[in-house]
Amino acid sequence: MQDFLELAVSATASGCIYGLIALAYLLMIRPTGIINFAVGEWAMVSAFGGYVFLTKYEFPYPLGMAVVIAFMLLVGWVTERVAVRPLVEKGAPLLAPVLALLGVLVITREIISVSFPPDPLPVPFPFGFGRLEFGLVAGSYQSFFIIAVTVLVFVGAWFFFEKTLWGRSFEAVSLNRKAAALMGINLSRVTSLSFAGGAAMAGLGGLLVAPNVSAHYQMGVPLAIQGFTALVIGGVGRVEGALLGGLLLAFAEQFTTRYAPIASGYTQGVPLLLLMLFLLVRPTGLLRSK
Amino acid sequence: MNKTILQVNGLCKRFGGLTAVTQLDFEVGEGEILGMIGPNGAGKSTTFNVIAGTYAADAGEARFAGESLFGLAPHQIAARGVMRTFQHNRPFAGMPVIDNVMVGAHARFRSRLWNLLAESSFKEETAMRQKAEALVRFVGLGDLGDADVTTLSFGQGRLLEIARALAGEPRLLLLDEPAAGLTPDELARLAGIIRGIADRGIAVLLIEHDMHFLLPLAHRVVVLNFGAKIADGLPAEIRANRAVTDAYLGSEHAAAR
Amino acid sequence: MKNTLRWLGVFVLLAGLPFLLGNYYNDVYRKMLLWVTLALGYNFLFGIGGQVSFSHFAFYGVGAYSIVIFLFQFHLPLPLAIVLGVALCVLVALAVAIPSTRLEGFYLALATLALAQLFVVVLNEGGAVTGGTGGLANYRLPDIFGVHITGPWYTAVIVFVLLMTLFILLKLDRSWFGRACRAVRDNPEAAAAMGINVARTKVIVFTLTSALAGVAGMAYAFVDNTVNPPIFGLENAFLILFMVIVGGSGRHAGAVIGAVLLFLLPFFLSPLVGHHHVLVFGLLVLGAILVAPKGLIGAVDFMKKKFS
Repeated sequence: MQDFLELAVSATASGCIYGLIALAYLLMIRPTGIINFAVGEWAMVSAFGGYVFLTKYEFPYPLGMAVVIAFMLLVGWVTERVAVRPLVEKGAPLLAPVLALLGVLVITREIISVSFPPDPLPVPFPFGFGRLEFGLVAGSYQSFFIIAVTVLVFVGAWFFFEKTLWGRSFEAVSLNRKAAALMGINLSRVTSLSFAGGAAMAGLGGLLVAPNVSAHYQMGVPLAIQGFTALVIGGVGRVEGALLGGLLLAFAEQFTTRYAPIASGYTQGVPLLLLMLFLLVRPTGLLRSK
Repeated sequence: MNKTILQVNGLCKRFGGLTAVTQLDFEVGEGEILGMIGPNGAGKSTTFNVIAGTYAADAGEARFAGESLFGLAPHQIAARGVMRTFQHNRPFAGMPVIDNVMVGAHARFRSRLWNLLAESSFKEETAMRQKAEALVRFVGLGDLGDADVTTLSFGQGRLLEIARALAGEPRLLLLDEPAAGLTPDELARLAGIIRGIADRGIAVLLIEHDMHFLLPLAHRVVVLNFGAKIADGLPAEIRANRAVTDAYLGSEHAAAR
Repeated sequence: MKNTLRWLGVFVLLAGLPFLLGNYYNDVYRKMLLWVTLALGYNFLFGIGGQVSFSHFAFYGVGAYSIVIFLFQFHLPLPLAIVLGVALCVLVALAVAIPSTRLEGFYLALATLALAQLFVVVLNEGGAVTGGTGGLANYRLPDIFGVHITGPWYTAVIVFVLLMTLFILLKLDRSWFGRACRAVRDNPEAAAAMGINVARTKVIVFTLTSALAGVAGMAYAFVDNTVNPPIFGLENAFLILFMVIVGGSGRHAGAVIGAVLLFLLPFFLSPLVGHHHVLVFGLLVLGAILVAPKGLIGAVDFMKKKFS
C-alpha cells in the first residue's frame, strides 16, 4: 500500500508536468488552431535556463525562476512575431505556421546543443533533496512542490478562461475570428499573448521537471508527445482536461513500468497506445466542452 | 409532373435549443427546377446541408430515388448522384480548373486503385478529361481549362462550382445561392446554364435569396420562414401570395436595419 | 513503347554512372538515390496528400530491419522476406493511420511522432532479435540465381527501387487517386461533397507511401550491410520533411531537388559548422516557409518564366 501511494505521488507529479505542457498547447490552439510541437523544446530551453541561473550563477530560487519564466515569455513572443504572424497576415493555410514552428523546434534544439556541453546538466531543487510524509502519503519535496505549483497554475488558468474578459476573448477568437474582430477583440494581441503564455507554461513545466531529469538537449520531444497525448485524453474543450489527461497518462506510464514485466524503455509506447485508444473510442476527450 | 427524384417528409433539425427547420415537406422531380426561398436564417442552408449529409437530421426522412439518404456520409450521398455547390466558393486551390472539375467526377471512375498502373485506366482518364473539358465549355469557362483556380474572378469561381458538381453526373443538383455576388450579365448567363441543366433531365434544388432571379427561373417555389414552410406553388402564385411578400419584405427590412 | 524506352534509358543512365565512380563516390551516390526515393514518397504523402507525418523514416527502418531479421534470424527465402516486410509496414501503417485520420487536425503528426520515438526504443530493447543498441551486422545479400550482387551492380538495384517508386507515384498522381489526395489536402469538406471518402484516402496514401519507404529501407539494408538504431531516429524524420519543403512540396521535381541539395549540403558545410548542419537546415526551412512557400522548384519556375 505504501509502495502504491509513493508511486501515486510521483505519478501525480509527472502528470502535473504533462498537464502544464498540455496547457501550453491549449493556450495556443484555442485562439489560433495552431499546434506548436516546439513546446517540448521550450520546456528544454527553460531547463537550461534553470541550469544557467540557478546552478551556474546561483540565483536564489524565486528570483531565478522569475528570470527564466520572464525569458520564456519573451521567447514565445518573439517566436510568434517571427514564425507565425507573417504567415497569418499573409493568409497562409494553417499548416504553414505549424511547419514553420517545426523549423523553430529544430533551430532551438541545435542552438542549445551548440551552446552547452552534451552531458546532462544539473538543476537544483528549490527545497533541497528530501522527503515529506503525511501518514501513508509520502514523496519527495520536489513532487509536492510540482503538485502545488501546478494546482495554482490551473486554478489561475481556469479563472482566466472562465471569469475574465481576456480569457473569454481567447474563446471568442477560436470560435470565429471574423466575429471576434468585429467585437473589437485585438486578434494579434491575443495571438501574441497566447504564444507568450504557452512558452511560459511549457517553461514552467521544464523548470519543474529539470531537477529530476537534468537539463539535456534531447528532453524536448518526449515531453511534446506526452503533453499532446494528455491534451487528446482530456479534450481540447476544457482547461481541466489538460491536467486530467496528464494525470491519467502519468499513472498509466508509471504503473506499467512498475507492474508490467517489460523493459522500462517501452513505457514510451504508453502515450502512443493511449492516444490510439482515445482517438478510436473517445475522440473528443474525457471532458466535453460546455 | 415528372417522376419524383427527391422526397422530403417531416424534416426537423435543431441546433442546441434553436430550431432551424421544422416539419418540412417537399419534393423535386426529374428535370424540375425547385426554388427554395426565404429570408436569412429561414433554414434554407440547413435543409440543404441535411440533404447533402453535412448535418444529421433530428427527425423526418429524405428519400432519393427511393432510398433514404439519412445516415449516409456526404461522400456516399454524392456517389449516389446528389451533387452540390457551396455558398462560398470552395475550389481546390492547388489544381488547375480542369482538374477541379475532374475531382467532381471522382465517383464516376470505374478503375480501382490496383489497376491504376494499367493502360485501361489511362484510357478512362483521357475520356473523363474530355467530358470535363465539355463541361468547362458548357458553363462558359471554355478557354480557362488550364488556368490556376486562384486566378479566377468571383463569378468564374461560381461557374466552376457548377461545372465541378455536374462532373459527378448528378440526378439531383443542389445549388446554394449560385447568384450571390454576380453581375447582371453573369446572372443572365447563369439562368441559361441552370435551364440547360434541367433540360438534361437533372433535378435542380435552387436556394436563392434574390426573388428577382429565382421567380422567372424556377418551375416551382417553396418558401421558408423561421424554419417552416409558409408557401409552396408556381412562381406566379408565390408572387401573388400576400403572406410571402409580407414575411419576406418584413425581414428584408429587419435585415437592412 | 516510347515510354518504356524512356524509362529504360533513364535506368541505364542512372545505373551506369556508378561504374565510372570510385567506391567512395558510389557509396555517396546510392545513399543520395535512397534519399531521393524517400523524398518522393514523402512528397506524395505530405505535399500531395497534405499530411504531416514523422514516421516515414521509421518505416524505412522497419523495412531494413525486417528484411534482415526475416532473412538471417528466421532464415526465410528472399522473396518471402520482402513480402513479409512490406506486409509488416502495411499493418503498422494501418494501425496508426486508421484511428488518427478520423479527425481533422494534426493527430497523425503526433501519432507518427510517438511511433518514430517508440520504434527506436523497440530497436534498442529488442535483445537478440534486433541486436539491441549495436544493431545487426555481418550479413550479406543472399545470392540471386547464384550471383552475388555487389558494388556498382547493387547500385543498379537501388536505381530500380527509385524508378519503381517514381513510376508508381507518377501513375497514381495522374489519376483520380492523385486528384482525390490533392482535393483532401486543399479542402476536405468540398472533397467529401465530390464523393471522396476523405478518411479512407488519407489512410491509403499513408499506408502506401509507408510501404514504399519500407521497400527503400530493404534496399538500404545491403548498402552498408549493417542496420543500427541511431540512423532511424527522429533527426532523419525531420530531415525528410525539410527536404520536401525546401525543394517545393507537392512537386516530384521539388522533392528530388530538395533531397539532393540537403543530402549534399553537409559535405560542404562540415568544414564550416562541424556536425551542426541541422541548424542550417532549420534556418533554410523557416526561410522557405516564410519567403518561398513553393520551394526551390517554385523559384526555378519563376526564373523560367522570366527568361523565356
